[in-house]
Amino acid sequence: MYGWIFRHLPGNRFWQVVQSLVLVAAVVAVLFTWVFPWVAETFNVNGDPNFD
Amino acid sequence: MRHTSSRTRSPSGGGVVSTAFGVLGELLITLGVVFGLFVVWQLWWTTVQSNQAATTIMTEFQESLPEAPQVAAELRTDAPPVPEAVAEGETIGALIVPAWYGKTDNTMPIVQGTSTELLNKAVAGHYTQTQQVGEVGNFALAGHRRTYGNSFRFVNELVPGDQVIVETASTWYVYEVTGHEVVLPSQVDVIAPVPNEPGVEPTERLLTLTTCHSPTLGEFGNSHRWITYAKFVGWMDRADGMPEQVLDDPGVQ
Repeated sequence: MYGWIFRHLPGNRFWQVVQSLVLVAAVVAVLFTWVFPWVAETFNVNGDPNFD
Repeated sequence: MRHTSSRTRSPSGGGVVSTAFGVLGELLITLGVVFGLFVVWQLWWTTVQSNQAATTIMTEFQESLPEAPQVAAELRTDAPPVPEAVAEGETIGALIVPAWYGKTDNTMPIVQGTSTELLNKAVAGHYTQTQQVGEVGNFALAGHRRTYGNSFRFVNELVPGDQVIVETASTWYVYEVTGHEVVLPSQVDVIAPVPNEPGVEPTERLLTLTTCHSPTLGEFGNSHRWITYAKFVGWMDRADGMPEQVLDDPGVQ
């Protein structure tokens, strides 16, 4: 799957690596900005130091 | 390219099956990496963001203050001034715990209210139903133990006699730790005017820190609450100087 994506990136090997890194960074950014906060909120992973 | 694709299709057979297993394997590895990233986000990134939020609040508060003389002032033991309650989310002052100096952000904002949204800004939240700082009764605060700024992370290192200082626009309030206990989240009477004795008329000025704790997971658990009690020992007017313990603290202005 990842190999398939990598091979279908345009350009030579150098540009393929650069684009891969950009894609990975974009995925991590989406996870950190939206997905993880949502998960933590929804499943109360972090708890709450308050008294209930 | 042609070489690679012909290899996946060729010798040991079952092209579709092996491709399917290959994709499944990659997805499982991805899942593992994502779980790892979640831990990184929770333990590190939330703190980076929260500390930025706390710094913004602290800077705003400190810029609103008159310059405090950088000299040690005498501790006064008469009745201190008691501020009016502010609206939810507004800044009451700063919490300074000299014992946490160099370990965590030990000059943290104290804001009114204890909602998750507020505490996630790495602040100490004042339980609105408890007394004001300096007032007879209990000035009770909540903060995160780990993650979102690790506000009260080292609460377990406080020993009787350690100072807990509150700075407001006009006054320094100095409290000293008297002890701690670990309770269940349902034991809300620890923040009563007289802790654990609801309904009793208070005679002392107390400060109580509450945060997460677990007997088994320590600072990483949230099954219990760590409660540290402190008692008022004195105050000083901002115009006269500041407590000796905070003179060398770069976070204090």
